[in-house]
Amino acid sequence: MTDELWWHPDLLRRFVPTPYVFSEFDGSNRFMVKSNDLEIALGVRHSDIIHRENNRAGGLVCKFIRDMTGPMDDSEMTIVSNGVLRVLSMGRGTILIYDSERSELLGFVARKVPVHELLSSLIPALLEG
Amino acid sequence: MSFLPIDQTDLHHSMELCFAGAACDLQTNSSELAGALEGLSISTGDAVSSGFSMRIFVDESSDEAAGEPHFRGLHHVVTASFGKSNVFVFDILRRTLIASVSAAVAQDDGFWNEKVIPITLGVLGSAMGLVPVHCACLELEGDGLLIAGVSGAGKSTLSVSLSKVGFNYVSDDWTYISRLGDGIVAHGTSAPAKLLPDAVEHFRSLQRHCLRRSMNGELAYEVDVAEAFGVRVERTCKPRWLIFLERTQGAGAAFTPMLPAEARSYVNSSVERLPPQLYEAGAMRERTIERVALLPSWRFRYGGTPQFAAKELLEFVVHRRQEIYV
Repeated sequence: MTDELWWHPDLLRRFVPTPYVFSEFDGSNRFMVKSNDLEIALGVRHSDIIHRENNRAGGLVCKFIRDMTGPMDDSEMTIVSNGVLRVLSMGRGTILIYDSERSELLGFVARKVPVHELLSSLIPALLEG
Repeated sequence: MSFLPIDQTDLHHSMELCFAGAACDLQTNSSELAGALEGLSISTGDAVSSGFSMRIFVDESSDEAAGEPHFRGLHHVVTASFGKSNVFVFDILRRTLIASVSAAVAQDDGFWNEKVIPITLGVLGSAMGLVPVHCACLELEGDGLLIAGVSGAGKSTLSVSLSKVGFNYVSDDWTYISRLGDGIVAHGTSAPAKLLPDAVEHFRSLQRHCLRRSMNGELAYEVDVAEAFGVRVERTCKPRWLIFLERTQGAGAAFTPMLPAEARSYVNSSVERLPPQLYEAGAMRERTIERVALLPSWRFRYGGTPQFAAKELLEFVVHRRQEIYV
């Protein structure tokens, strides 16, 4: 099967390139952050709460997409959780997902959400709320 | 901030359902929603080997209707929001849907029938070997006919016309295919048939129905074919042939054999590209697609009415059946 035949529009934006990658090893703990936004990647890399979670969970993989095309319709925050997955949504444009079993922190961050809000408010609410 | 724990101890209503051959373990706090979903469940006896779970929390304090959909996905998780009160989270690796919805959405049977169930099967199906294929499906005396074609090729009008000449209707737009033993099984859902506005020229009874805007933005008649046309509906069948539909300007009809590679390419174009985290799901899906691609396939070019095309296809299928059984 050729690439051309496999081509699909990336409607879910799963395959947005994330060129900003930081990876660290602390003993057996592996911490990695990937993003398409340098400011987010740097902010997450230096975030205290992220490093606390990394130590607690025995490693953490983070992937954040700055979503320039998503809606910016609301600022109300909702967290849905079933124990393993915790999902924070703020409006429809910002969605953060924490999978505690797989130690993965994933998310789409709406254009209007500043990095300091992501780090000081949204991620703490998701991880500690 | 709202915190909505989808905790099983709060989801008192539990039942086993079946959608497109996939077993579904439902838990919810709403007896009304449980009843509505039970009404959409179709038990076929040919369930695929693995099922999925739905954990639905209904927030009775919210009456927000379903808004415009917004989908995103990363790794093994896909999210769909229909307004701030209606959030769906699909965990593909664990074959689980968790959702929080408003009381208004919980009571909207059409929303679950036309949107949530097909989306759930489309997203979680890859982890169950259940492949959504963009094709109609009809059944004649146990033999299934898959009719593929691009949007606007006339799959839905032809499906109705075939149903009127003796076929049983399974689906008109999306068919869910799973492996069973050495073969495959095609499943329909309770979703209504979607007929474009010009279908009223061929089926006058559509004048009794109203055009509605469907999820992809098209105006269409969305009807229950059994009620609207009095035709027979089957929910599952074993496909024997795959037909690729192409409309031409001139009158007439012609069948040309197609190669498995062309069929495989078409089915692949129906499915979502999967990330590396879902490698095993992708491999399982690929095995199902391979079986579909091995079906005898023909390109069917026709010009004229769907009734004319249905007559030609009926003759074609009768001949193929004679070849097999005689």
